[in-house]
Amino acid sequence: MIGVGKIKQYANVLETPLSKGKQEVSLSAFAFLFSELVQYNQTQVDNIAELERRLEDAGYSVGARILELLCHRDKGNRRETRLLGILSFVHSTVWKVLFGKVADSLEKGTEHEDEYMISEKELLVNRFISIPKDMGTFNCGAFVAGIVRGVLDSAGFPAVVTAHFVPMEGQQRPRTTILIKFAEEVLRREARLG
Amino acid sequence: MAPVAPRSGDAIFASVEHVNAELFTLTYGAIVRQLLTDLEEVEEVNKQLDQMGYNIGVRLIDEFLAKSNVSRCVDFKETADAIAKIGFKMFLGVGASVTNWDADGTCCSIVLDDNPLVDFVELPDTCQGLYYCNILSGVVRGALEMVSMKTEVTWVRDMLRGDDAFELQVKLLKQVPEEYPYKDDE
Amino acid sequence: MQFFGGSDISPSPPAPTASGNNAHMMYVFNRNGVCLLYREWNRPLHTLNAQQDHKLMFGLLFSLKSLTAKMDPTSFENHEMCSLDKGNLGVPQLPGQGCSFHSFRTNTYKLSFMETPSGLKIILITHPKTGDLRESLKYIYNLYVEYVVKNPIYTPGAPIRCELFNTSLDQYVRSIS
Repeated sequence: MIGVGKIKQYANVLETPLSKGKQEVSLSAFAFLFSELVQYNQTQVDNIAELERRLEDAGYSVGARILELLCHRDKGNRRETRLLGILSFVHSTVWKVLFGKVADSLEKGTEHEDEYMISEKELLVNRFISIPKDMGTFNCGAFVAGIVRGVLDSAGFPAVVTAHFVPMEGQQRPRTTILIKFAEEVLRREARLG
Repeated sequence: MAPVAPRSGDAIFASVEHVNAELFTLTYGAIVRQLLTDLEEVEEVNKQLDQMGYNIGVRLIDEFLAKSNVSRCVDFKETADAIAKIGFKMFLGVGASVTNWDADGTCCSIVLDDNPLVDFVELPDTCQGLYYCNILSGVVRGALEMVSMKTEVTWVRDMLRGDDAFELQVKLLKQVPEEYPYKDDE
Repeated sequence: MQFFGGSDISPSPPAPTASGNNAHMMYVFNRNGVCLLYREWNRPLHTLNAQQDHKLMFGLLFSLKSLTAKMDPTSFENHEMCSLDKGNLGVPQLPGQGCSFHSFRTNTYKLSFMETPSGLKIILITHPKTGDLRESLKYIYNLYVEYVVKNPIYTPGAPIRCELFNTSLDQYVRSIS
């Protein structure tokens, strides 16, 4: 397998010598790194959909690793097995680690049983962005959607995850909604578990 | 208005917003993985990481200048010091020191106290030629180029390759004055 | 710097108002002389097309910098590196080298200027009676850093099309007095 960034394996959380998860870098350092991720991927694609897909892929590998890290560190290798459990894990624990706060909201879709939405008034990756008209609906949140998909998928909850701008009444800037549509098998299993 | 003294890297780092270093580290890991998939050759990945770092340096210099109150970057020694003492601290929260000056003051080393890019990283056998942190050398080169210093920046020690520290060598090639960019008949 | 006599002889516009509308226009050039941004709030008179206008402004600053450095009667460490070149007008300098001017005033407008060591030039044209705008230019530089430089889809060197930057700039400029 091609890949670096292999996560060191520790038998259990007590042996973990590194990364109490308290270290920080400046937001700018992340913003510049993220900008370059976007800039590089822009050179690799012909259209916005492809660009979002590539950002989502990059996010996916972050999500998969975050799950591993958090399970080792905070949960003694236990993983959520129920739908609502994993959703609230993403909305609170994962969000807090990645963005320093719990997500603004977690809602169930009103029209479809299999859809859930995590919304953020000002998603970190959209903080400094101005989208020119010719880029249409492009949303850097695709990266975060990828992270969410990475966490869910690795925890056994495959889903399609997308990022959307949602205009807010009385607000100049739209909020970002991460839309999660779970795979059929997930819902079937959930129904079985009752 | 007297020139303002540059702010210390610690003071700036304390005053800016932060993110969890893990988000940063894992995002960087994702970039490296993407490049390994796209480019396949480790040598090409090294080049691309350096280029991406350069692009970041070109942007980051303005944040550095705006936040640090550094008002001149004419003297190479002063500038190298500012990078190590202020630059690394304000962005990555890590200290660095300048050593190994050569006799004519155009080449030095920056040694990092810590390196948040490499948490969780071990190079697998397939990637032994990889300079995982090449983005950092690119950043230094790009930022210096924006203040008119053409440099060559290389890793001389890399802990991922078994050395005992992360050490960047910065060599000043030339200082490029500003020129009038238009031709008279334009 | 005050050019060509006192403002009591030449006709001047009415005194600046405490709030708003004291700014005429603004330019941002990068180190290669590319005009990244031209923003206009109040400019009834245009005499040139945009491209000529930008080029003239850049040329004015470039020459003025060279002139002010040449006329500098003081000598301190600033000059060490360019002492050989000091006699020649128009000899290129490193950004941040030599002395630098930060504003000039005519009877009808004031031009405030800031150049960073990275060669970014911010030029703000305002009412002639506006005060020292060096801190304002620094503030605008910070806006540029936040909303242009950190915008992940902005490519350095390209004209600035960042709505976040423009709106915060417009808002800030209205407060200049």
